[in-house]
Amino acid sequence: MTPAPQPPPRTASTAPLGRLLAAEVRWVLLRPRTLVMLGLFALIPVVIAIGVVVADGSGGRGLIGATAGNGLVLPVAAMTLALTLLLPLAVAMAAADAIAGETAHGTLRGLLLAPVGRLRLVGMKASGVFVVAVLATGLIAVVGVLAGLVVVGGADGQLVTLSGTTIGLGDALGRVALVAAWTVGQLAAVGAVALAISALTEHPLIVLASVLGGLIVFGVLGAIPALDFLQPYLLTSGWTAGADALRDPLPLGGMGESTLRALGYAVVGGGLTVALMLRRDA
Amino acid sequence: MGAALAGAVGLGLLAVPAGAGAAPELPPVTAEELISSVMTADPGPFNGTVKLDNQLGLPALPQLPQAANGTSTATVWSDGDRKGRVSLPTGQTERTLVADGTTVWSWNSADRTVTKSPESEGPHRRPAADPTAAATEVVKHLRATSTVDVDGTAEVAGRSAYELVLAPAPTERTLLREVRVAVDAEKRVPLQLTVLATGSSDPALRLGFTDLTFGAQDPSLFTFTPPPGATVQERPAHAEDAKPGAAKPTVVGDGWDTVVIAKAPTGERAPELAALGKPVSGPWGNGREFTTAVGTAIVTDDGRIAVGAVPEQVLTEALTK
Repeated sequence: MTPAPQPPPRTASTAPLGRLLAAEVRWVLLRPRTLVMLGLFALIPVVIAIGVVVADGSGGRGLIGATAGNGLVLPVAAMTLALTLLLPLAVAMAAADAIAGETAHGTLRGLLLAPVGRLRLVGMKASGVFVVAVLATGLIAVVGVLAGLVVVGGADGQLVTLSGTTIGLGDALGRVALVAAWTVGQLAAVGAVALAISALTEHPLIVLASVLGGLIVFGVLGAIPALDFLQPYLLTSGWTAGADALRDPLPLGGMGESTLRALGYAVVGGGLTVALMLRRDA
Repeated sequence: MGAALAGAVGLGLLAVPAGAGAAPELPPVTAEELISSVMTADPGPFNGTVKLDNQLGLPALPQLPQAANGTSTATVWSDGDRKGRVSLPTGQTERTLVADGTTVWSWNSADRTVTKSPESEGPHRRPAADPTAAATEVVKHLRATSTVDVDGTAEVAGRSAYELVLAPAPTERTLLREVRVAVDAEKRVPLQLTVLATGSSDPALRLGFTDLTFGAQDPSLFTFTPPPGATVQERPAHAEDAKPGAAKPTVVGDGWDTVVIAKAPTGERAPELAALGKPVSGPWGNGREFTTAVGTAIVTDDGRIAVGAVPEQVLTEALTK
């Protein structure tokens, strides 16, 4: 009697990271709500562009006013506008689904028991949230550039900066990309904190409510002159820095400072998420 | 958990202001030497960021949001001679001033207008014939009403600086306590101006560089081309002060308690003052008083305006004279 053939030795004890990430991203992107949300985000710059054209130059103040006849301002204006609440909402939604949603459905248990380290699980969930942030911001930026050039037009395909200088298309696109990257950085901070809350609770709504409520509270605190000393700690206090990309020469101080602050929030949120997930019972 | 703590500590560190280090050690200098070296200083091209911390208590003016209490920053570039550029960002708009050597361009992004005016002729910098003698003269003149001293050193915008302090003599009746000018030890240019009023330890006004770099500047900074879509207005030189019949203001007193009495502006551009200020009256008549941290103004009902860095009583005396 011959012994049964030995099973081949296992070379990998865990699933490859690439496959995990692809599975998570597919999982996030196949949710109809994610797709509907991204579709609505693409409409933001179009709606602003139509509004600016209909108002026809009487623009008003701020970045929206600066968009009139100066289409390449549109992507920056749209991203700045969306960063106040809409983009954080998208990120919070993705983060709420990522852990709290799976807990609520009872599907997280399977993931906790699967041959995937907890750290890798958190990384996988975080990258799903990050992909939503990148896609939503990128969509606003790309549609913004197109709508700015096609619907608003003006300024001979160039960008008139807030400083009164004119810069070419290539340079202007570089600046839009810079604002997009900076926005994604801020959203990563929001996402990290949202994931930490998501790991704490099993109700996705709590994540949404705490992130949006937190942002509103930050906004209120930032508006009270007597609480000026809080400004350096509030994530939202640097969120107007995106407009700096429209100045010439380009001042990087505001965006640099808010990116460092976002990094602080991201490390706090990420650390808490990992700590909570490592201790979690399956 | 450790990472979360590290992040929190990082956030805390971010909030700590890039603080004033220890006062730098510099060779001693007298006030005369310092002022004389400032008069002859030639810093050459530079760029920097200027921060204004204003606690004067003035009302906000629509034309000049920087006048109201608060901080504002400006970025400046200079070629060391006649050309320069200043940008004044406010929120999501910006004003830019460019002097290209012959023309001064002023750009306002809020309404996309460019104002173009020829640069005033005449000597831009008039070097004193003998700076040492001139400085001695200046100090002598100042010492009649003030104490002038070099009071230690400070670090401003990361550079070592001498602190020149002007304080009113005890006989001066003024709201000001002290004016401090930080002078760069190497380049001998003023880096910071601090105005301190009586009864407050916080400066009423602080205007200074938060960052300053000497060295050649990009010449394209000192040119300006109106962007497409902008409205360009031309303004002739000296249109404002060429009004005939403008009465010269009267000056009462000297030194720190100088009071200037002038005709209050009239016409369409005059600000509406009736609803502001505190009603006051005296032997000079009736009027309205405006007080700020560093000065007082009285606008009388008969159209005079008296201003000085003085308490109300001194204004009243000057108006009665």
